[in-house]
Amino acid sequence: MAVIPIWPGSSSFASGSTPFGFYDSDLEFQQDADKVANFCARRLGYPIVDVELQDLNFFAAFEEAVTTYGNELYAYQVRENFLSLEGASDTVDVKNTLLTPTLNRIIDFSQQYGVEAGVGGNVEYYDGLVGLSASVQDYDLNAWAVEQGHDSGDIEIKRVFYESPPAIVRYFDPYAGTGTDLQGLLSTFGFGSYSPGINFLMMPISYDLQKLQAIDFNDQIRKSNYSFEIKNNKLTIFPIPKLTGGALKIQYILKSERASAAFQDGANKITDVSNVPYTNPVYSKINSVGRSWMFEYTLSLVKEMLGYVRGKYGSVPIPGDTVTLNQSDLITAATSEKTALIERLRTYFDETSRKNLLEARTQETEFRKQELNEVPFTIYIS
Amino acid sequence: MCALFGGSRDVSLFRGLSRELVGDIISQQAAIYKPQLAETKVNIYGETPGTRYFDEPVLLNCLISRDDQAYPESDLGIGFNWGVEFRFLRDDLVDANVLIEIGDIVLYQESYYEVDSTVSNQYVVGKNPDYPNAENPLENDLDQFGSSFSVIVKSHIIPSDKLGISPKKERF
Repeated sequence: MAVIPIWPGSSSFASGSTPFGFYDSDLEFQQDADKVANFCARRLGYPIVDVELQDLNFFAAFEEAVTTYGNELYAYQVRENFLSLEGASDTVDVKNTLLTPTLNRIIDFSQQYGVEAGVGGNVEYYDGLVGLSASVQDYDLNAWAVEQGHDSGDIEIKRVFYESPPAIVRYFDPYAGTGTDLQGLLSTFGFGSYSPGINFLMMPISYDLQKLQAIDFNDQIRKSNYSFEIKNNKLTIFPIPKLTGGALKIQYILKSERASAAFQDGANKITDVSNVPYTNPVYSKINSVGRSWMFEYTLSLVKEMLGYVRGKYGSVPIPGDTVTLNQSDLITAATSEKTALIERLRTYFDETSRKNLLEARTQETEFRKQELNEVPFTIYIS
Repeated sequence: MCALFGGSRDVSLFRGLSRELVGDIISQQAAIYKPQLAETKVNIYGETPGTRYFDEPVLLNCLISRDDQAYPESDLGIGFNWGVEFRFLRDDLVDANVLIEIGDIVLYQESYYEVDSTVSNQYVVGKNPDYPNAENPLENDLDQFGSSFSVIVKSHIIPSDKLGISPKKERF
């Protein structure tokens, strides 16, 4: 007749008593493990009623509670600092490091905009010369790309040097036809003889728009109307070239390089939340606030465990009859307690986030200023 | 193939829970008297007109279910009958080395009850490990599963003067 012992009322922790042994060598963990087992057993009614668990069950729950605390803590830390962590070496001792935020990844993220705007970025701009032929208005740049050794359709034209400068850069261009007729007005008010570039007169925005339109009209009517269109890498230029031998300069990028620019070598670097080099917490360095949470979480886990033990069979035999134990109460209570504890911990961590701390500090400053404003000002009469 | 449920750990849990419930929470006890057949003399009809001898009583936890008292009338007058059912955890009996049989006496609340019948058919998960399961070609490890869990004893009250059981100090 096998007899499986249950909780006898005391325990003696020994290294190797937990499933993973994360904290077995920590002296304070060893000491607290027995205390936590006793605490949980008493909270479950021992010695008035039996607790159908063994010390190993209590120790397993305690280890899980410490690990859960560490997971929540470090997950919060990762969320808070991932922009600064991503791309850093994956051997950094993040647990013992004071982390100062950087713009490293923000700048990396911004490079995509620089590429499209042509003001930087991480994709190379190539120059190319498209040969022009007399009486040919349309040019297939995909075919041109193949001649240059690129794949057809891989190029994206970013700039064609075949356009008159935009009107805005010739706002003060006297040859634009609009002139700077402000001069007469300024002279009337005695502000003449100044360079137009440094004279400013507040005018309505409609004036500027009309002036830009005037420049555009001027270009269209009085100048040769150089222009182009690109649709699906088919270049159409205006006017139609009359001679062969000329060349049109373009700038382009390779789509494949832009796609590749999304990827950098992440070897030995932090690439996602899974390889941020956080390890399990050091139990002896956790303060009483954290340990108190762990004790409560251990109790919830133990309660859940006991519920599953008592509920493996829907009813339990007694001589001549069966009884139903309190497994559903235990599991329901344990589930809600675990959820509440996790929520409490996350709220606590969130309240200490950089954003919330700065907000609180700002509010405190505002309140202090308001309070100081209530102090009567002294009037000195000398 | 082998069974999955009702192993020795489960049975141990049930036994522990049952002992806690019956012993610590409900806390009903009864004492079993086994007759000393070698010491007791019987006549040719198998009756014991003289003194009957019993072993020392064994006190056990059990669940007790009492019938209503009955007062049957007969030619001899008004009688008295009271049936009581005692439910023992079989492992308690095994530990105490007591085998309850018909004719044994149970002491409960200063009254004596003679055992009329015993029933032992409450099998955990329907398995009785005492059955010779090793011969079973499909499941030859069933002796590791289940348990014959209880012994149900039905009895009727018997006047103490018919038994002659009294503390030793009064007899000597």
